[in-house]
Amino acid sequence: MSQYSTGTNSTRRYSTTGASSRNHTSQNPPQRVVKRKKQFSLLSIGKGLDVPFCMLIVLLLAIGITMMFSASYPVAFYEIGDSYYYLKRQLLFAIVGLAIMLAVSYFDYHHFHRFSALILGVSYFALIVVLLIPSETGVRRWIGIGDYGIQASEISKFAIILFLAHWGSRYYNKMHTFKYGVLPGAAVFVSTAILLLLEPHYSCIVIVALLTVIMLFVSGIRIKWIAIAAVLLAAAILLLWATGLLTYAMDRMDGWGKALEYIDEDQWQQTWQTRNSLYAIGSGGLFGLGLGQSRQKYLYLPEPQNDFVFAIVCEELGLIGAIAILLIFALLVWRGIVISLRAKDRFGKLLGIGLVSQIGLQVILNILVITDWLPNTGISLPFFSYGGSSLLMLLFQMGIVLSISRSANIEKI
Amino acid sequence: MGANQRLRQRTVWLLIIILVLGFGAVITRLAYLQLIAGEDLQQKAVSQQLSDTTISAKRGTIYDRNGKILAQSASVWQVVLSPASFKTDEQRIYVANRLSEILGLEAEDVLEKTKQNSYYTVVKRKIESEEQKQILELMNEVEDKFKLSSVIALLDDYKRYYPYSELASSVIGFTGSDDQGLSGVEYQYDEYLTGTPGRLVTATNANGTIMPFDYSQNIDAIDGNSLVLTIDETIQSIIEKYMRNAIKDYKVYNRGVCIAMDPNNGEILGMATVGGYDLNDPFTISKEEQKKISEIDKDYLLEKGYITEEETYTAEEMSEILATAKSEAESAALSKMWRNKAISDTYYPGSVFKMVPLSMALEEGTVNKDTRFNCMGVFNLYGEDINCHNTGGHGTQTYAQALCNSCNPAFIEIGQSVGEEKWWEYYQAFGFSEKTGIDLPGESDDIFFSEDGTMGPVDLAVASFGQNFSITPIQMITAACAIANGGELVQPHVVKQILDSEGAVIENISTEPKRQVISNQVAEEMRGILEQNAIGGTGKNGYVAGYRVAGKTGTSEKLSDSNGDGVQDYIASYCGFAPANKPEIAMLVFFDTPLSGNYYGSAVAAPVFAGIMGEVLPYLELDAQYTEAEAANIDTTAGTYTGLSVTEASKSVNSDGFDVTIKGEGSTVVAQVPAAGSKIPTGGTVVLYTDETSVEEKVTVPNLIDYSVGDVNYIASYYGINISITGAVNSADAVAISQDIAEGTTVSPGTVVTVTFSSGGVND
Repeated sequence: MSQYSTGTNSTRRYSTTGASSRNHTSQNPPQRVVKRKKQFSLLSIGKGLDVPFCMLIVLLLAIGITMMFSASYPVAFYEIGDSYYYLKRQLLFAIVGLAIMLAVSYFDYHHFHRFSALILGVSYFALIVVLLIPSETGVRRWIGIGDYGIQASEISKFAIILFLAHWGSRYYNKMHTFKYGVLPGAAVFVSTAILLLLEPHYSCIVIVALLTVIMLFVSGIRIKWIAIAAVLLAAAILLLWATGLLTYAMDRMDGWGKALEYIDEDQWQQTWQTRNSLYAIGSGGLFGLGLGQSRQKYLYLPEPQNDFVFAIVCEELGLIGAIAILLIFALLVWRGIVISLRAKDRFGKLLGIGLVSQIGLQVILNILVITDWLPNTGISLPFFSYGGSSLLMLLFQMGIVLSISRSANIEKI
Repeated sequence: MGANQRLRQRTVWLLIIILVLGFGAVITRLAYLQLIAGEDLQQKAVSQQLSDTTISAKRGTIYDRNGKILAQSASVWQVVLSPASFKTDEQRIYVANRLSEILGLEAEDVLEKTKQNSYYTVVKRKIESEEQKQILELMNEVEDKFKLSSVIALLDDYKRYYPYSELASSVIGFTGSDDQGLSGVEYQYDEYLTGTPGRLVTATNANGTIMPFDYSQNIDAIDGNSLVLTIDETIQSIIEKYMRNAIKDYKVYNRGVCIAMDPNNGEILGMATVGGYDLNDPFTISKEEQKKISEIDKDYLLEKGYITEEETYTAEEMSEILATAKSEAESAALSKMWRNKAISDTYYPGSVFKMVPLSMALEEGTVNKDTRFNCMGVFNLYGEDINCHNTGGHGTQTYAQALCNSCNPAFIEIGQSVGEEKWWEYYQAFGFSEKTGIDLPGESDDIFFSEDGTMGPVDLAVASFGQNFSITPIQMITAACAIANGGELVQPHVVKQILDSEGAVIENISTEPKRQVISNQVAEEMRGILEQNAIGGTGKNGYVAGYRVAGKTGTSEKLSDSNGDGVQDYIASYCGFAPANKPEIAMLVFFDTPLSGNYYGSAVAAPVFAGIMGEVLPYLELDAQYTEAEAANIDTTAGTYTGLSVTEASKSVNSDGFDVTIKGEGSTVVAQVPAAGSKIPTGGTVVLYTDETSVEEKVTVPNLIDYSVGDVNYIASYYGINISITGAVNSADAVAISQDIAEGTTVSPGTVVTVTFSSGGVND
């Protein structure tokens, strides 16, 4: 399968890109590739699996589970009666997840070319099924299997990355056209977004939108389409605003940015979680209160094991700890991008970039939410937030990145 | 390679955007929150974690001067919910129903609370141990049933108890739901009583339970200080008993006031505004007031200006207006009920005030033993006639006689002799132009003719007999104390000592005399004149047999017609002290608008003064000295005669100074009336029963009112009952004005009926 995509691309390359300046730069690649190989080999320990990336994942997972445990044990103790409740489950999922990751890394990611349309179909199916399940709260996001459930949107994010990587690599040289470059991506995004709107799951729409833009941008569409999309998006939001469809999101945004002010009882209750998140972050200072010493986790900050786990991290480890963790995330993203760029084929490159970007995006959006720069809409922090299915999904995706690294390294020999 | 180059370039851009822009923004935000805003946020977090754990200090106890408890806090609990801890609506409904059952609340209201998105909401405060036990059971039940351990919590709380309910209500005051003093001493000394709330060393979680980590800086709650009042519970009880009866007997419309004070140091021994209210239930107005409010109708709304004739109102508007009027009437009734009339209301002092201008004149020497005042019953002042209460005129009088006659024309002359300027100086010196500074909230100022004391000649004339300017009762008695104690103006106060929570004295409160107002000699002479007044002058109804009492009556007109019957309202008052030679207690009795017909201070206030003093003076262990006439009416205590043989018993009764009547055929005494220990006038009769059947013989109490002392004694012996005499028995014209056992009551022979005498013919 890999022969298929790389082959067609290389034969079409010169015929489609006519700009002379590009021809100039493309005269030198053989030497540059050699240079890069040397650079990479310094960081690439052994052959096959990319060990630095793998270590970064294990490191983040270890820190993440530790902090999730620290944040969750009072809640687990008071509400469930077992301080280790969340830890035990998360550990179990992490072990299973790591096994899946390793297994997937041996799986040739090129097979996903074939499955991309199918998985996109599964994504739509899941999004529709979710809407049919009755819910007490009016929010329909989960598909349950026994005691466990998965958010339909977790599948959608992956499906869109996969599909756009498939499409972008297949029609890479036509991506500057509207028909190939913009239309399919826009169609997939809009249809998914409509279904997410019905759940509703606004934060996921934001992530899906950003992922679509990233994938199309890297696949080479013209910048002007992105600009036009931004304008359209703004118009669409205005329209939704006017028609009142944004009620739920508006409700959640009520008091956004004003968590510390008392306006009225409703707003005060609504911003309770965000306010206590800010108290926790502020309490941490430069060096933090020390591991396990958070006070805000004692039922002041609701659900500290979920989206707001990083607030407790900030309280216990301080700005130093928070920056250190962000650096590890940054290293992971950077390493992931490096791995992706080393992939022999565009499908591998695009898929890897998409999957790694998703982590970066979620980290940024999550922290902007807990610091009250974005409305509180439910974006989890990868490797840290409690949740079995999302952790499994995350490690499955990391397995794909490792699979890309493996094939890239193998072929370099 | 160009296409791959573009991919690479764009990826690098993407990486830059994510890492530099995205992560950069995140780190900037975190740095701002943790470093710049950190201190402020941490403070808020800590105050949230600590304020929830503040332990309220136990409020101090209030004692009377003998250590009897007047107000006390007891441990109770408050029930709080953590609504956000509920998992299902089923749990909410179950808990709400059970809580409302136990606590007697509306299930709907509790259910509303269980739906709040918070971790702390108070369901009910100040629950007592019975309810607390049931809540504990419910907590266990909820834990077993739903595995919810932190939904309901019990926190410490305190409740204030007032063992004597209504006693001294306007002085003691009461507390609000947050244990804060709202009136009286509870308000005035709130900061002492409250104590310092404990800042719990250990921080707690949002549910109020202690966090399991070391976070310690334990500052214990310091319980509030206790107060020892100058009030004597016994004296206060005596005062309130007499005041309550008088208010009923004289149909007093607007409550009465009695202040008893130690003239030597300003300690308030008793202070009553009657009717008071139950301190344990201070927010309930009297049944009469409730009835009045329920009867509010259209006429009332028109009269009070809630509605006008011209406008039309919808039914909805009307019911709204009616509700407003009712709630306003209720809060007005509450504040009237709480009002300490003794210090907050002003009144024309009337003739009681005459002791002040006479003191001025004696001190200034503007009158002397040779000065004579001629009263023709009317005094013509610049063409205006001012009547004396004795319209026939008092004739020629000395100043002492003028005071004993309470002669208005004479006092106009005395006032004129002093002059406006000196008059104002003494007015200020006696403390009428300033608050007395008593340690109670809500003291009022006087209302004088002008701010700077200037007054016209007519003002001076009427002011000399206590009309047309207003002072508070506490100002009046404080001025009277200056005469009683030898000329010093003392500062009244109700708190004697402040104790710490262990009971050790941390502060003795005494007030320094403010100034010498008149000389000791003048004060002594005034005491003599006032004693003469109590023995034989207009103040004789305030006389107490066996004691040297001094006093002055007063009847003052009110400007307003408070009960709306179109008849002039009066205030009847009496102010005096005892013993006259070395006063230990001064007292002012004051009734606002008696409606029983006789509104004179001599008829309404003086007998009450005498009644209270008659019980208080023996309680203060002051030695009685009786005149011969009085000795005949002295009560003696009956001994125990039952169980003795008839002869032995008869001998014993006779030796105790009583006559004996024997009923029945037996040889041993099986019963006696009056009972052992009762007070019987010397020469009274003790009835001894020698068998059971004779015990059932009864007599009917006759009417004794309006008879003279001699007549009453005769009637009593005829009916076979004993008489205890109180009031103005020295006056030849004294008649019985009340009897404590009503006419027609069936009693055993020998029962003691207390009869109060009053001298008629004094209209002041």
